[in-house]
Amino acid sequence: MPGEIIFEFPQQYLYPEGLWLTIQLSVLGLIGSIVLGILIALLRISPFAPLRWIGAAYVEFFRNTPLLVQLFFLFFALPALGIRFSDDAFVFNFRAAVLGIALYHAAYVAEVVRGGLLGVDRGQIEAARSLGLSYRQMLREVQLPQAVRSVIPPIGNIAIALAKNTALAKTIGVAELLAAGDYVEAATFRTVEAYLAVALLYLVLTLPMAAGVNWLEKRLLVAR
Amino acid sequence: MRQDTWWIFTDINFLRFFGAGLIQTLLLSLAAIALAFVVALVFALGRMSHRRWLRWPSIAYVETIRALPVLLLIVFFYIKGSSLLQPVFGPEFNLQPFWAGVLGLGLYTSAVLAEIIRAGILSLPRGQTEAARALGLSHARAMRYVILPQGLRLMVPAMMSQLTTIIKDTSLVATIGVSDLLGQGRIIYNRYFNPIEVFLFVAVIYFVICFALSQASRRLELGNTPKAARAKIREIQLRDQAA
Repeated sequence: MPGEIIFEFPQQYLYPEGLWLTIQLSVLGLIGSIVLGILIALLRISPFAPLRWIGAAYVEFFRNTPLLVQLFFLFFALPALGIRFSDDAFVFNFRAAVLGIALYHAAYVAEVVRGGLLGVDRGQIEAARSLGLSYRQMLREVQLPQAVRSVIPPIGNIAIALAKNTALAKTIGVAELLAAGDYVEAATFRTVEAYLAVALLYLVLTLPMAAGVNWLEKRLLVAR
Repeated sequence: MRQDTWWIFTDINFLRFFGAGLIQTLLLSLAAIALAFVVALVFALGRMSHRRWLRWPSIAYVETIRALPVLLLIVFFYIKGSSLLQPVFGPEFNLQPFWAGVLGLGLYTSAVLAEIIRAGILSLPRGQTEAARALGLSHARAMRYVILPQGLRLMVPAMMSQLTTIIKDTSLVATIGVSDLLGQGRIIYNRYFNPIEVFLFVAVIYFVICFALSQASRRLELGNTPKAARAKIREIQLRDQAA
């Protein structure tokens, strides 16, 4: 049974350590993707056309190529370009994974935030501008705060996808949860138990998030 | 940058090599979506059944599979698939990595498609079911001839955008040794050590295919999709877009 492996396998610490790395990847990746996503959303609604094009190009490129290809590019190509996040291999792998995950999901966050910003009533924006607020003041004081409410549940959905996608970090040498399962499987040959334990830990991670998103959706539902 | 390896990308033999990978990628996506559609139909109908012993296992299947990473399923079938299927195909059976990828990807997508199909069916007006039953059709026949054809047609754009996701996800099978587009790219990289060029080239090919597909599905647009179904689809597209 899975319990036997988690509690009796000599390398039982692999699972909690893997889970901890998965959580670190998810949290750092989510923060990065939200910050970057908001910036790109602002580019996409900018009044200046070339900025809009840059934003659109970013979103389309990162949404329409596989995350794995992006991770491989960061992992193999950046050192070739002379960019190294760290001389320590483990730290480098981890940082490349966080960066790749953040870049990829930022494209989705940007689309959601853009939708939220465009969903703000135009009259609000025009009123703010006619009251003499500059474009930046209007963004900060009027448009962004109103968009937050409609944006939180979809970002929660992206966070769930992100937590699952951290599994891909294993392919560039980050010893996260799925990699822990690989090690245990290779040492014990008990495939079903090793991966069932991994699956249960992923469920422990993602099912509460899904429940939380559903709850938030009901709480924040804007009556239209 | 390795200018000395740029000839690779105009050499016909190397392009054929990448083309073989692309064909694997496309075949894998088609096989996975075919498997996913059949399984999804079963679980979508199971989840809407009035019988508890059908409904609860279906809910458990869909919600569990949706909450797991695709890579976990693919790796599991890669390692364990052969011995799981040996009772069916005989003791000599050996599951190829390609089919392990189809199983993992197909089962994951089946859970997502089941939710899409269910959203489509639930968004139909109740009058459709009631009229069919009032005309004397059994529950099964009302489903078969009235509800499913309409529900599935409503969901065609959503399924097409899911196909984009599947094509992106097939890149994961490169990690279990299938020579798909990314797998071929890695072989070239290991031979010539030109990561920038190779992975950019591969990324551009994926981009062209996925961008064309997502534009096409946007063209079909969710115009005649009811509002309730549209919200559900948007949630699915954010939560279940894997790699």
